[in-house]
Amino acid sequence: MSQVTRRELLKSAAALGAAATLSPALARPAHAQTTQKQELVVGQSGDISKLDPHFSTSSNDIRWSFNLFDNLTSRHPDGKLYPGLATEWKLTGQTTWTFKLRSGVKFHNGDPFTSADAKASIERTYDPNVKSMVATVLTTIDRIETPDAGTLVIHTKKPDPLLPGRLGFYGGQIVPEKYLKSVGPDAFNAKPVGTGPVKLGSWTKDDKLVLEANPDYWGGKPDFDRLVMRPIPETAPRIAALLKGEVDAITQLPADQGERVAGNATTRVAGALYAGLYVLAVNSKRPPLDNPLVKQALSHAIDREAIVKELWRNRGIVPSQPIAKGDNHFDGSLPPLPYNPGAARDLLKKAGYKGEEIFIETTVGYLTNDKQMSEAIQGMWKDAGVNAKVEVIEYSVRAQKNREKSFKGVFWSDPTSTLTDPDGMMWRLLGPGGPQDYWRHARWDELGNAARFSVDEKFRGEAYKEMTKIFLEHFPWIPILQPYEDYGLQKFVEFTPNPNQQFEIRRFNFKFKRA
Amino acid sequence: MRGLLGFLVPKLLRALVAVWLVTTVVFVVMRLSGDPVPLLLPPDAPTSEIMRVRRELGLDRALPVQYATFAANVLRGDFGRSIHFREPAFSVVKGYLGATVELGLTAFFIAALVAVPIGLLSAIRRNTLLDHVAMGVALVGQAAPTFFLGILFILLLSLKADLFPTGGRGDWKNLVLPALTLGAFAMASIARLTRSAVLEVLRADYIRTARAKGLAEWLVIVKHTLKNAALPIVTITGLQFGTLLGGAVVTETVFSWPGIGRLAIQSIYNRDYPVVQCAVFLSAIMFIVVNFAIDLFYGLLDPRVRPRA
Amino acid sequence: MSATPAVLAPVAVRGGAGGRRTTRLAVAGLAFVVLLGVVATAAPWLAPHDPERQSLRGRLGRPTLQAADGRARLLGTDQLGRDVLSRVIYGARVSLTVGLSAVVIGGLVGAGLGIAAGFRRGFTDTVIMTLADAQLAFPFILLAIGIIAVLGPSFPTLIVVVGLSGWVSYARILRAQVIVLRSREFVEAIQALGGSVTRVILRHVVPNVLSTIVVIATLELARSIVLEATLSFLGLGIQPPTPSWGGMIYEGREYLDSAWWISTFPGLVLMLTSLVVSRTGDWLRDLLDPTLRGE
Repeated sequence: MSQVTRRELLKSAAALGAAATLSPALARPAHAQTTQKQELVVGQSGDISKLDPHFSTSSNDIRWSFNLFDNLTSRHPDGKLYPGLATEWKLTGQTTWTFKLRSGVKFHNGDPFTSADAKASIERTYDPNVKSMVATVLTTIDRIETPDAGTLVIHTKKPDPLLPGRLGFYGGQIVPEKYLKSVGPDAFNAKPVGTGPVKLGSWTKDDKLVLEANPDYWGGKPDFDRLVMRPIPETAPRIAALLKGEVDAITQLPADQGERVAGNATTRVAGALYAGLYVLAVNSKRPPLDNPLVKQALSHAIDREAIVKELWRNRGIVPSQPIAKGDNHFDGSLPPLPYNPGAARDLLKKAGYKGEEIFIETTVGYLTNDKQMSEAIQGMWKDAGVNAKVEVIEYSVRAQKNREKSFKGVFWSDPTSTLTDPDGMMWRLLGPGGPQDYWRHARWDELGNAARFSVDEKFRGEAYKEMTKIFLEHFPWIPILQPYEDYGLQKFVEFTPNPNQQFEIRRFNFKFKRA
Repeated sequence: MRGLLGFLVPKLLRALVAVWLVTTVVFVVMRLSGDPVPLLLPPDAPTSEIMRVRRELGLDRALPVQYATFAANVLRGDFGRSIHFREPAFSVVKGYLGATVELGLTAFFIAALVAVPIGLLSAIRRNTLLDHVAMGVALVGQAAPTFFLGILFILLLSLKADLFPTGGRGDWKNLVLPALTLGAFAMASIARLTRSAVLEVLRADYIRTARAKGLAEWLVIVKHTLKNAALPIVTITGLQFGTLLGGAVVTETVFSWPGIGRLAIQSIYNRDYPVVQCAVFLSAIMFIVVNFAIDLFYGLLDPRVRPRA
Repeated sequence: MSATPAVLAPVAVRGGAGGRRTTRLAVAGLAFVVLLGVVATAAPWLAPHDPERQSLRGRLGRPTLQAADGRARLLGTDQLGRDVLSRVIYGARVSLTVGLSAVVIGGLVGAGLGIAAGFRRGFTDTVIMTLADAQLAFPFILLAIGIIAVLGPSFPTLIVVVGLSGWVSYARILRAQVIVLRSREFVEAIQALGGSVTRVILRHVVPNVLSTIVVIATLELARSIVLEATLSFLGLGIQPPTPSWGGMIYEGREYLDSAWWISTFPGLVLMLTSLVVSRTGDWLRDLLDPTLRGE
């Protein structure tokens, strides 16, 4: 990874999905650059909650479940899809996918991996009796066949060009059919067995998760014997632990602290442009937010450049549309969403806004900087004549409101394009019946549905272009920024962050610099 | 002995009622605070699914019925299954208990071992520089919010001075900073109280007599003062044990210490009723046992406090 | 678990504190508290800037006499570019309101129950003291989180929660004092002569325990201000953008390393207030309660 100055970095921020490195041009002692360590210690902001990969989509969990388990396909940090447990795949006709599976792969308990495991894993995600947290991910699948132990044939209900991508992200982790059946789901969650590069050592809740390297991993044994994850909830101690060398890597490094880590002789910052957006999702059913003019005004009143430049110290970019940069059908010709308080005032007048309260419901830390951004946006909205209020709520209240769709105004969300495609992002979340279904528009719905089941990329591109246009009049989300998600690393750690919150420690992406 | 029994039995009964009150309040407050089910299911799960899980967890029954079941189970030592961890609540809490007891006791002993001599010295050397400095520091210890003190310790004593690790559980070195942070308030209170209790005793007539008889100053202090000042010191120390458990919530978060306080908070947020109930129950029991022991000690030290009736 | 009055009585710093010096110190302490009250009330005139006015471009600014806009930021700016000095001044409002209301609530509830327990003894006494035991055995922070989760975070909820956290100290100490008082001849005599209980309490008991109440109140005031800070840490404090000392310390904690002024200044003011208030309590007691005064 090349070393760049901050200024260069800003330029390279444009480089899509690429990992960016911050480090000062300092003469550093050589010993800090290499290590003989056989243990990788990672500090993250919270403990894991579940090890069963089909029961959590939270980033603190998937960071590890994607390493305990393999998927059929693998999305590398460069954003491209590579073979995983499947070595190749092809589409026959419009709806039949054939996957050739890797041979000789064993689960951590010694059981061989076969097509039966793959079939059972995928079917488990949408089996209503299992109540998985990823039940909607693979619902385009109609049925699965296993002609032999090394072949998997998947029939989709309608053409689904994105199926291999879907199988590469959450929901697609392959679990051992036999073991799971014999021990039951609770014991499996306590003692998970996968095919991944690490296997479970021990888990002491809120203290440490110990993962042992899998010496027989098909992709090569990782460059350590043991991986220890320590939950360190407070930011200052987490950074102190990195600076002191108690941990080798930390997650969720706030932009404000980046300089501290980059300025330290032995540590560096590495980040990846998030494969998604940070948005204020809008409850468009609540007046006055049912009025598109009001939402346009709210968008115009936000000085996103100041937020990105000051609050995020340029560790992010101003979005121009509901499609994340780096995704299929991202329209590079659109300008960044504008800041125009004058226009905002005019729009409010035109909308007949009478000072109704508009609530920003935020947690502290569900998203990086969420509370700070809420307060900043509240200030900007006030300046434009909007009667904005911030309400701090805790995570479980947010979860409850999310389920009941009972947010009072706008709330933070970090939609991610699980498939590097708008279908996995705006359509998945904002579509009819989706988790953020607060707004309906006949034409938009028609286009979204048609695009999902079309294999004609040109048609899809046109559809998403029109959907974007409608979106930017109605703002079911008010996009705020596309941030970098930063990690703090010891300089002897060679690692490229993945844009989709995976923490890829397989041989091709992680190693210690040895002397 | 009968006097002692008459002194202890009512106390024991009251302690039991107090534990029952605590348990009931937790039960009610938790159920008023919200429903765990939305946190267990994907955001787009249908209503029928929610109802099914509610039924499975027994949350669809009337509150008094739930309470009766809960109370009956607690009497048998069964706190139910953790909704979040899907294992018995008691075994979840047990996993955290060791860390909290370790931290709490260390903080408690550091506090007592540091504070009592300081209070004593301050009293003997009252109105000297030593007295003013010690009492000043004590007041700061009482006035600084725990989290502020904790982060300050990490930045100064760990990051800058490199004396201790930043957090986490490990050997004795890992214990020092969190124990100091947690014990700061108790330490300050005990030091101030010791000072004033000793001062009071020093003024008493029998001390003057002892001094007049020409006993060495240190002998006077050790023989009379400490013995007589022990009562208030021991009592405040016991009460501070309660604040230790409460303060642990913050200390454990700052030092990423895997203790029961952090578990309890997360479980409140997860609406994991059984774990919260079990954690609160156990910490109430701990508090009551410690203070009961102190009462006992107290009764032994000073027969006068035993009520006649 | 009940304690004798000597044990729970607030710590007195008596040794050698001569009468005149004590008086002067107590007056100085009171003056400080009054000054804080004035600052809080007159905040709009005293604060050099709007405490909620943000300037992202001027965030995390060092204390300076001349900021980019040519005006002074004596205590620097915070993570949103707001003036720390103005926020400290306005923050006094929230912190003192929480502290004082908590003292009033805790004092009324605690004193009422304590006097009732001491005067009535018997069953009433047992019930009240058992309640006190239960509250002490309850890790208070957890109870606070529970209550706030039920009622929703708001300023009144915060005040009630902080207020209820303190009633036990009043109740236990006053109960013990009242028991002693009750056995005195004059109370018994009045009762024997048919004086009403309420009248006895108001005329004879309350004045006798007033000094104790004042002393506990000062300690509780100090404790409540710190508790508000702790609740802020747990996300249960005052809603933004209203400043409070506790909230400021909490928000600035991540910047202690880089922009120390954000939490250090409110921290200093909070500690100073808490320190002065509790010392004043000590001195006040020396003044008010001759029986406890030093040699």
